[in-house]
Amino acid sequence: MPELEFVNVRKSYRGPTGENLLALDDFSLKVAGGRFVTVVGPSGCGKTTLLRMAGGLIPSETGKIRLDGAVLEGPSPKMSMVFQGIGLMPWKTIEGNVSLGIQLQAHRQKLTAEESHFVKATLELVGLKGFEHYYPHQLSGGMQQRVGLARALVRQPEILLMDEPFGALDAQTRTVLQDELLNLWGRVKSTVLFITHDLDEAIYLSDMVVIMRRRPGRIKQVLEVNLPQPRYSYDARAEKEFTRLRSIAWQSIKEEL
Amino acid sequence: MTQSAEPMPQSNGANSIFAAIGGNQVLLGALSIAVFIGVWQVVSMNVPPIILPSPANVFAAFAELTASGELIRATGQTIWPFAVGLVFAFIIGTTLGLLLGIFRPAARLLDPYIFVFWSIPNIAWLPLFIAWFGVGQLTLIVFVFVSAVFPQLLTVEAGAKEADSFLVEVARSLGGTKREILHIVVLPSALPYIFAGLRIAVGRALVGIIVGQLLIVATGIGYMFQFYGETLSLAKYFAPLIVIAALAVLLNRAVNWAEHVFIPWKPRAFI
Repeated sequence: MPELEFVNVRKSYRGPTGENLLALDDFSLKVAGGRFVTVVGPSGCGKTTLLRMAGGLIPSETGKIRLDGAVLEGPSPKMSMVFQGIGLMPWKTIEGNVSLGIQLQAHRQKLTAEESHFVKATLELVGLKGFEHYYPHQLSGGMQQRVGLARALVRQPEILLMDEPFGALDAQTRTVLQDELLNLWGRVKSTVLFITHDLDEAIYLSDMVVIMRRRPGRIKQVLEVNLPQPRYSYDARAEKEFTRLRSIAWQSIKEEL
Repeated sequence: MTQSAEPMPQSNGANSIFAAIGGNQVLLGALSIAVFIGVWQVVSMNVPPIILPSPANVFAAFAELTASGELIRATGQTIWPFAVGLVFAFIIGTTLGLLLGIFRPAARLLDPYIFVFWSIPNIAWLPLFIAWFGVGQLTLIVFVFVSAVFPQLLTVEAGAKEADSFLVEVARSLGGTKREILHIVVLPSALPYIFAGLRIAVGRALVGIIVGQLLIVATGIGYMFQFYGETLSLAKYFAPLIVIAALAVLLNRAVNWAEHVFIPWKPRAFI
């Protein structure tokens, strides 16, 4: 099983007046293969920086990120990212957007018959059968994020990196998509690193919740969530264990706000 | 979009007439033209014909100039240098605009020159072009080209620079190379700007051809303006005016249509 490991990672940015802003300091975390790990923390704690580094979009300043033991340098075909802003190409149809997941990985325009079949199957998997030829602006926010999910899954990633993917959606859509994500995760069995600021979402989805300190981001506390999966098969949010974990997490995060 | 979800209100008198006409684009257009000509007729009856000829006189002059072949010949003389200049301006302006928008060092090097050349009023070039290219079609084409190329170039360059950095990042996360990102993100983002530039370029090129014909070659529509203006044959003066207006409307429609065909993803706003 693929494993993602952060070793003493540090990252700073240059502020508007030239001062150094330390976003993330001495961050070490091992995301074991097949696990669903969520990182929560106050805004500005370096969550997104963390994920962008994991996705190979920005380099770490010191320390390293290992993917299956090998040091990560740039975006890897073993990983897929899902963004809060989704980032669908407005000029491509839904099918075209999902196909990009394969095209940009294989560096060719033309999909094989098998691949285009897989694109269609993946769209069906996320509940978008029949919308193949729509353009993104013709879809609701929730449907657009399903496309984002399909574009990530079509690459058959070993690791899914998700940056507040449901943050911009309304509460009902978010709940539905959370359940669907758990369902998909149960099928594809990839490792997930999920960023959110929503404690309920973090506990509901994941095996492990990492709570961050405010800037500079460091790990404050790690909670194991031992509620059985899949959580949508029963009312997980009503479990005693769920409420217990949420109150611990809330106490912990409150000090950082 | 022609939707009539609400049943027509059965109110009395003028209201329902307006409602019926408002829903019909063709009828509305015809009505607008009728009102325009009506007002024109009324005004022309109250001023000397040397100030404003009546619509009937203008139509008669238009028919006469068409029948004699003068108007058609002049239109031909105007359209071809206009088209040649505009096509070159479009191709070169778009290509250079894309290149400058994509290769930032090239833009830093050339932008100041482009800005200076663009800032010089077109008309100031004309004596120089005559000296270089003589009194003839070539000068006319070059003048149309120079009038149209800068708006095309600058608009497309701005468009190519406008590519959403987030979409670039998404493409990068999917493994896209620089070349692929250019193809998948940068060029499609610039496409609407190509048409926006073309719309301005068409207008500038029209001004260019008329001014050029008026001042240098003494042919075409531009010369008709000069000739009938100087001889105070106002009814005949209106004929080339109608041709130019029709040409402008037609070209604008063509650009809209091309935009519709090439940018099918563009959401259309209805106000």
